Amino acid sequence: MATTTRTDEPDAALSVREVSLRFGGITVLDGVSFDAPRGGILGLVGPNGAGKTSLFNCISGHYQPTAGSILVGGTETVRTPAWRMAKLGLARTFQHPALRLDASVLENVMLGAHSWMPGGPVAWSLRLPSTRRHEREARARALELLERTGLGWAAAIPADELSHGLHKGVELCRALLSRPRLLLLDEPAAGLSHGEVEQLIGTVREVRREFDLTVVVVEHHMGLISALTDRVVVLDHGAKLMEGTAAQAQSDPRVVEAYLGKEVGADESA
Amino acid sequence: MATTPTSTARAASTSRSGSTSRWRGIAFVGVLAVALVVAPLVSSPYVNYQLSSIAVFAVAILGLNIVMGYTGQVSLGQSAFLGLGAYIAAYGILHGWPGPLTLLLCAVVPAVVGMLVALAAARLRGLALAMITLALPIVGVPLARRFDDFTGGSQGQVVSWLRAPESTGLANDQWRYYVVVLIAVVAFVLARNLVRGRIGRSFAIVKENEAVALSMGVSPYRTKVLAFTIASLLGGVSGFMYLAIVQYTSPETLVFATSINLVAAMVIGGSASIIGTALGAVYYVLVPVLAGQVNSSRTALISGAVLLAVLFLLPAGLVSLPRRLARLRSSTRRPHPSAPPTTSDEATHRASAPSATTDQHS
Repeated sequence: MATTTRTDEPDAALSVREVSLRFGGITVLDGVSFDAPRGGILGLVGPNGAGKTSLFNCISGHYQPTAGSILVGGTETVRTPAWRMAKLGLARTFQHPALRLDASVLENVMLGAHSWMPGGPVAWSLRLPSTRRHEREARARALELLERTGLGWAAAIPADELSHGLHKGVELCRALLSRPRLLLLDEPAAGLSHGEVEQLIGTVREVRREFDLTVVVVEHHMGLISALTDRVVVLDHGAKLMEGTAAQAQSDPRVVEAYLGKEVGADESA
Repeated sequence: MATTPTSTARAASTSRSGSTSRWRGIAFVGVLAVALVVAPLVSSPYVNYQLSSIAVFAVAILGLNIVMGYTGQVSLGQSAFLGLGAYIAAYGILHGWPGPLTLLLCAVVPAVVGMLVALAAARLRGLALAMITLALPIVGVPLARRFDDFTGGSQGQVVSWLRAPESTGLANDQWRYYVVVLIAVVAFVLARNLVRGRIGRSFAIVKENEAVALSMGVSPYRTKVLAFTIASLLGGVSGFMYLAIVQYTSPETLVFATSINLVAAMVIGGSASIIGTALGAVYYVLVPVLAGQVNSSRTALISGAVLLAVLFLLPAGLVSLPRRLARLRSSTRRPHPSAPPTTSDEATHRASAPSATTDQHS
């Protein structure tokens, strides 16, 4: 990885420092710190309610952390509004893909081009040549991404005619069209069939290499975490429990305890 | 996945249907253009007045559709901007301003007012936003009565203007028709361009899901302010057009009931649809006229019955009528109207199976 490191960028595409998040009296995140090395795939795991999605929302700017600091590509972003994060090269997907069901798959994906397409309302209502050129470029790239993820055939179809698994693929294409440097995937395998998970793993690996992406993935599917990630960060009750490879995490007694409870964990290891 | 035969077949079929629909579109626009040009020459002044009214309210509904239909923000104040535009036009004409400058101010001043309101109100959602917009006509009517130096008070302003130039050989009603229809056509073309590209997609995602909008680089707040500003601008322009054909404005122009009727017309024509907007304007103007001819003492009742009937039979508005009919026809003939013309490929199954079920249910 050292060979691909550019001098103008820090080694960590994402750096989370002592991030805490409180809603009223409830502590959702408690001083979480980790780095996502550039070009890597980092898994964020933990039992339900551990604070994984809340941490995602802090990184993507949807929540503002109560304390701590988050650096995306070396830029402090805690006070940056969520809608400016796309310009900083951050894209994310959601647990439940939110597509415009009445619109075509292509139209859904093309939203991803919003952050790099120039032109305000006047330019677009006059259909200036530059807007038409950008529209053509976005369409071509969107179609290319759909072809890559095996969804080329669906471009003209309304999104509501596709299955849940395919919605996830469309959402991934939408996120990739924004030309991200850092991609956050929130439970990408939830609700997917075995074959679809296999395909997803292949796709994520491929696009990571090709677009020189850093990927952070929240996931329950341990198969996907083992197959995909270089490192995992385990959260429990809003705090970091451990950090290591997926294999280390699965054999760590603290992680087993967090997932299964103390007594059961003790019985099993006995 | 064996997508190659499927995708080529589909690509071929889309390009084929794409070119047919383009020719159909060009033919439609051509016929419409001829009809719009010829109509006033062969119609009575009364019919021309009604046709001009359709153009006026089409622009008001167009603005409403941008903010409500496309962006999903409830606005109950469109009549206030229509009234504001009409008053500015009346003031300008009575003070001898040139027509184009008056039109420009009728667009810019309501747009600025709308933007200022939206900058404060767009942080609110749903009912709270609706209440703020509701206040505009409610506050506007007494203001219009009070500031009689500017508005002529309760009597309103009679403005006699926009006479047909001698050289054209047109009657006044024909000349005014051409003026308002030209403005409406320009407004519709610009709005259609706007809702198709980058800005249109940002409107649509703010309506659909603000969290996704944020993650894709769209600021919901700015998008709502923009949509509301455009709606106010078009409302003001429709006020100019209103004064052009009615030659009179009073506090009645901006009453709240007009806003509600505009919303109803927008929904009936077709929310988030440009053609639906035009159909909504036709409904807005013609149904009360026709209902009055059926029974002049039951106009409101008949209009209400038509409203309910349309909403019940066509929840997506009049614009969905052809689609609805096509679907009814094909569901009685063939079960798989939208299936791609290919062999039984995995992809084909995925694409066609859900559409077949929708057809059975509808």
